[in-house]
Amino acid sequence: MTTIITKTVTKICIPLIILFSISLLLAGHNNPGGGFIGGVMFVAVIALTYVVFGLKKMKTVFDPHWEKWFAFGLILASITAFTPMIYGHNFFRSAVHFVDLPLFGEIELVSAGLFDIGVYFVVIGSLLFIFKNVGDDE
Amino acid sequence: MDSFTAIVIAIFLPFVFAGFLSPLERIFKDKIGWFAAAVALVSFLLIAYVAPDIIHGEIIEHTVSWVPSAGISFSIYADGLAIMIGFIASGIGVIIMSYSNGYMSHEEELTRYYQYLLLFMGSMIGMVFSANTIQLFVFWELTSITSFMLIGYWRHKPQSVYGATKSLLITAAGGLFMLAGFLLLRTITGSFDLTAIFHDPYMIETIKGHDLFLPILILLLIGAAAKSAQGPFYIWLPNAMEAPTPVSAFLHSATMVKAGIYLIARIHPIFSGTDAWFILVSGIGISTMLLAGFLALRQTDIKAILAYSTISQLAYMMTMYGYTTYHDPGIGVAAATFHLLNHATFKACLFLVAGIVVHEAATRDIRKLGGLWREMPITFVIASIAALAMAGIPPLNGFLSKEMFYETSIEMGSLLGSPFNILIPALAVLGGVFTFAYSIKLIDGIFLGKRCDEHLPEHIHDPSAIMLIPAAFLAGLVILFGLVPSIPIHYIVEPTTSGILLETVHLHVQLWHGFTPALMMTIVTFIAGILVYSRYDNIANWQNRFNSRYPWISVNYYYDHLVDNAKEHAHRFALFTQPGGIKTYVNAMLILMIVLMIIPLFTVTTTLIPSNLNFEIPLYEGLTMLIMIVAALTAALYHKYLLAVIALSGVGYMVSLIFIYLKAPDLALTQILVETLSTIIFLLVIVKIPQTFRERIPKTVLARDLCIATAVSLTILVLLLNATQGIVPPFESISHYFIEKTLPLAGGHNIVNVIIVDFRGYDTLGEISVLCLAALGVYNLIQSREERE
Repeated sequence: MTTIITKTVTKICIPLIILFSISLLLAGHNNPGGGFIGGVMFVAVIALTYVVFGLKKMKTVFDPHWEKWFAFGLILASITAFTPMIYGHNFFRSAVHFVDLPLFGEIELVSAGLFDIGVYFVVIGSLLFIFKNVGDDE
Repeated sequence: MDSFTAIVIAIFLPFVFAGFLSPLERIFKDKIGWFAAAVALVSFLLIAYVAPDIIHGEIIEHTVSWVPSAGISFSIYADGLAIMIGFIASGIGVIIMSYSNGYMSHEEELTRYYQYLLLFMGSMIGMVFSANTIQLFVFWELTSITSFMLIGYWRHKPQSVYGATKSLLITAAGGLFMLAGFLLLRTITGSFDLTAIFHDPYMIETIKGHDLFLPILILLLIGAAAKSAQGPFYIWLPNAMEAPTPVSAFLHSATMVKAGIYLIARIHPIFSGTDAWFILVSGIGISTMLLAGFLALRQTDIKAILAYSTISQLAYMMTMYGYTTYHDPGIGVAAATFHLLNHATFKACLFLVAGIVVHEAATRDIRKLGGLWREMPITFVIASIAALAMAGIPPLNGFLSKEMFYETSIEMGSLLGSPFNILIPALAVLGGVFTFAYSIKLIDGIFLGKRCDEHLPEHIHDPSAIMLIPAAFLAGLVILFGLVPSIPIHYIVEPTTSGILLETVHLHVQLWHGFTPALMMTIVTFIAGILVYSRYDNIANWQNRFNSRYPWISVNYYYDHLVDNAKEHAHRFALFTQPGGIKTYVNAMLILMIVLMIIPLFTVTTTLIPSNLNFEIPLYEGLTMLIMIVAALTAALYHKYLLAVIALSGVGYMVSLIFIYLKAPDLALTQILVETLSTIIFLLVIVKIPQTFRERIPKTVLARDLCIATAVSLTILVLLLNATQGIVPPFESISHYFIEKTLPLAGGHNIVNVIIVDFRGYDTLGEISVLCLAALGVYNLIQSREERE
């Protein structure tokens, strides 16, 4: 699995796949995609690097605290769920707002999108946290 | 700031700061205890801010709806009773958290310790201000749980674990009895709101006349007795002494054990004035008072002596609440309240002294202590004040409340007539005699007599001011309340009594009140107490002999048997249901699945195989299906992991192709990604294990597995055939709702995503929480295995 070809291809693919996963996350509200799919995509590419380059080597290059990622995601998701209550609305009430930006044109801001970003981080954090721990285990 | 806000902040501030304690530890280092004490002080000041209104007879009531559909609300009810226990919980909290700075060594996990203390304090304050019974129950059990954490604080010590488990089993189970009582009460009143009940005389009459009156009373009393270590439930408190001594001072003498007494006082307006109330409450009280007082004489551990004395002192209060049935309830309730306050001061002080002795002399065994008064003069004075107050010596506060106890006993006895007019005061005196004896034993055993040099460190001295000042402060209160009783009576006991009885009460308590019968009883108590003290060792030896001869005459004996049996049976049950091998679990799940699917299938559908099936399958779909079948067979038949795994993921990818044909891009994407990820994980794992598997499977096992697999496939087939015919008759599809509402309500075009993050957002929140928990669970599993190795 660790031939020079896979290594080279993986190196080229990493940025592309990560960008794709982010685009899946952001496009989710209107097109196929969403936090879960984007998150799993991200996990898949990191997992691929673990397999191709080995866990030990990867740790020296890129070793974030994945547990912080899912903690952040869960907090973000909970905040979007609770924020409407401060304004006297129901738990989980969502809001849609359209903004005109120069260059980008009209952009749709959805509070559910923020929740989706929370889901994205939880999926990435928890799966890779499990992945790294199981992989570390001798 | 209005009073309601002040109380809510006082309740939740400790909870919030308990959460922030870990990050704050980096700033405060080992001074974190002072920060925790400051938080407790803020809660105390907030309660003090509300107190003047309450003392002037106001009552603060405010309700915020919580689960309106079930009649559950977050209701604050602040009367004298709530304020008094709130004062004790937060005030003693400040004292204990300051004292702990001297007591706890800096090597301990200080943050965890103060977190538990703050959580406990918040729960206790929350409990006493609760008007809604469900809210009361929640806080009640929170105090049990935090008490469990604190008793088991030194978790490597088996005795700590034993004591913690015991206290949790008894107090939390007692709480469940209480909950059952509240639920039954609701069937009569239709409300969870306690204040609504006792402000309504008609309602109270209804309850008293109801068939369920006695069951409810018994259930609530079990809860109260379990919490306050009364009756047979006393056994948890002596074992709870494994907690750090400041914890024992805080939870197991001054506050948590008073929760049961608090409950008795709270339900007093509803249940008192009946025979059942008198017999049950006073009965539990008197028997516990005598038993615990008697058993205290046998103890050699100073904390155990204090624990038994706490049980016995709490029983005094129980008894006095029970005495209010047949005469003017003012005296009994006031006496119990005053004693509750006094006990909180002198017993917490004694525990702090015990902590000092343990800290300096490194032993709790009273046989190894002695003659310390020369080396620890200040501690000796403080201890003597507190112990003499407990013994009921004038002019200390214990003397006053004990006099009131004797007064109520005499009145109760004379109301009931012969033979009770002698019996009840006699039993009260007997309880006082035991108290006197063990109080003297504490002073004599620790500070007087001969110094046991072989058991003690060479140099013992008074501790630092951090530990002395809190104890000295409490001793000062003991003297102040004794010399000028009008202060506590006027500012605390009168409002509290008014709160319990729902009418304004005026009391007159003086240090010198003439030669009353109660004073005569006190003198008799002292004389008999000295006599008992002179025979102290004989009584203790007799108890030891009795216990070794009849080990089964003890509640602990039955408790241990019960718990051991439960453990053994649970172990056997676990072995039966969790045998190991994954295959068993998979088989069990599949068989259950078949059963659960077949029953509704047969009840709902008319024919198993619908007649109007559509056999026109496009060529590409047919081809995909064919590849899927081949791949599945390969996965089932190959003996090499690598090939089997690749074949299996082939099946998955084909499924995602089908999803694309069916115009479900989201599903297809998810399927592809999950399939990829699981294949990678499989590949990672099979590198580390033998490459071939299932070389030899017995024919019978093969036949069994084949049967199960076929049954599953057939069930799924029938289910799918029926499902594709449209939803089965009685149910209607809800998809049109989402198709119509997605854009106008959520502003999104992707229905799948909108359902996930918006319409069913709450489900998703639950799912991602589960994901986080699963990640932490895997981590713990792996870590615990490494630790074991």
